[in-house]
Amino acid sequence: MKVTVRYFAVLRDRRGLDAETVECPEMTSSQFASYLIELHQLGLPPSLVRVAVNSSFVSDDHVLGDGDEVVLIPPVAGG
Amino acid sequence: MFQLSSTPIIPPLMECARAGGFVTFEGRVRDHAEGRAVERLTYEAYPEMAIAEGTRLLEEAKEKFGLLDSRVIHRVGTLEIGEVAVWIGVAAAHRREAFAACEWIIDQLKHRVPIWKHEIFSEGAGVWVGAESVPLEFGLLTQRQELLDEIGPEGQAKLRNARVLLVGVGGLGSASLPYLVGAGVGTLGLVDPDQVELTNLHRQVIYSANETGRLKVDRAAAAASRLNPSVRVETHALEVDGSNVDRLVSGYDVVIDGTDSLEVKFLLNAACRRHQKPLITASIHRFEGHLMTVLPDGPCLRCLFPTQPHDGCVGTCAQVGVLGVVPGLFGVLQALEAIKVITDFSDVLTEDMLLFDLKSLQSLKVKRSLRDGCEGCAGIHHPLNLQVSDPVGVVIDIRELDETPQLLISHIRLPLSRFAWQGWTEPVTFICASGQRSGNLAANLREQGHSQVYSLKGGVERLNSCF
Repeated sequence: MKVTVRYFAVLRDRRGLDAETVECPEMTSSQFASYLIELHQLGLPPSLVRVAVNSSFVSDDHVLGDGDEVVLIPPVAGG
Repeated sequence: MFQLSSTPIIPPLMECARAGGFVTFEGRVRDHAEGRAVERLTYEAYPEMAIAEGTRLLEEAKEKFGLLDSRVIHRVGTLEIGEVAVWIGVAAAHRREAFAACEWIIDQLKHRVPIWKHEIFSEGAGVWVGAESVPLEFGLLTQRQELLDEIGPEGQAKLRNARVLLVGVGGLGSASLPYLVGAGVGTLGLVDPDQVELTNLHRQVIYSANETGRLKVDRAAAAASRLNPSVRVETHALEVDGSNVDRLVSGYDVVIDGTDSLEVKFLLNAACRRHQKPLITASIHRFEGHLMTVLPDGPCLRCLFPTQPHDGCVGTCAQVGVLGVVPGLFGVLQALEAIKVITDFSDVLTEDMLLFDLKSLQSLKVKRSLRDGCEGCAGIHHPLNLQVSDPVGVVIDIRELDETPQLLISHIRLPLSRFAWQGWTEPVTFICASGQRSGNLAANLREQGHSQVYSLKGGVERLNSCF
């Protein structure tokens, strides 16, 4: 299946992209975050990254579907 | 003659052949205020207005008491204990008028003239106190906003009575401050241990280059008072930590998180949960940021980030850089959320996080929800459904005896006005009409070490509607 990923903050910097389309097998939101973090060496523990699907934050066991828009949100500290 | 002086006051010699009574008064800096030890005082004036209002006051005194001469000299700047802060001299034909006029002038002066004092306490905190009631024209300050149906005189009164805690007066805090003060928020608490640095100024535009090296909370308080002399500003030149967060948060109605520390953000989130205070939190990164409002009964920061991240994992402004406009915009949005919360707007970011990338100008609202088992919410979100599975223990209705309707489950009635802890076996659940008083009581008892005390969200209204 295909999903669109949007990166925020430090993940955007480290990936060097705002968004991309990813081809992947069916998996949960947390598996997907771990997969991308590992694949692109994004340098954050997956447990710190929140995943939103189609504009709602989802739990770790949420299963992604074809065509979903996934947003990866890391902690942000600046003030 | 009404004068301001930045140097020690030298009392002038008053001469008037027609006067038989000369009375002078010296107001000096004393070593305590509100039960706390004062180290020194700083007076700042809005000079044009202070002189205009002071001169008007002396003209009124002349008319009222038939004075032959009257003079006031008020100090500005930093004064040590014992220094003369204000000097008043009046001359009248007879002593009685002279005594009465002198007293009237000092009372009126404190009340009306836009000179505010900054008391610096020995423990480092301070408070800025403006004229007790500012000249009438300051009512115009918020007039354009009161025209809005959503604000009106009622909303304006809520803002005037509100106490807002700004944690951090850096990029975010210094941007929300002018709009909070301009909106007429009555009391602002400012927390920040830092001093103004040149590298701050591109984004912290309330400070000036000649203020470097000075405490941010003091300069921010001065900026606030210049904008609206009626604002009360309480300064806390300290770093928020576990030992002071409860004291700080419990003293205010709304908390704005403008820190750049993840640790402090999570501390504030937990304390706001304990004390049932709304928290408006924002964070920025280079060209983007996010914003959300955490209400006492809504999803919290911990619902979203179950694992607390540690400082350093994602970089601060000092490390990754930031465009000044970015915290500026998010700080202003935080002020907006605070104004909405205080004046009871319904559309607040309580169940969303706003993400905004200013480089691409793309924004996104992401839905947040309460998370089962959230440590941040533990004990705060007591389930409503009292009669089934939840260990609610002793139920205590703390409404006053004349409040109705009757609670439809078995309970103890103990009005808050005569409340005392009576050695109940915990858990204990408190109930009031709406959940507000019971929430405050439970939070206070938790501070005293009772870990299993709860408040019923929504109170009797919600509970009885289930039957």
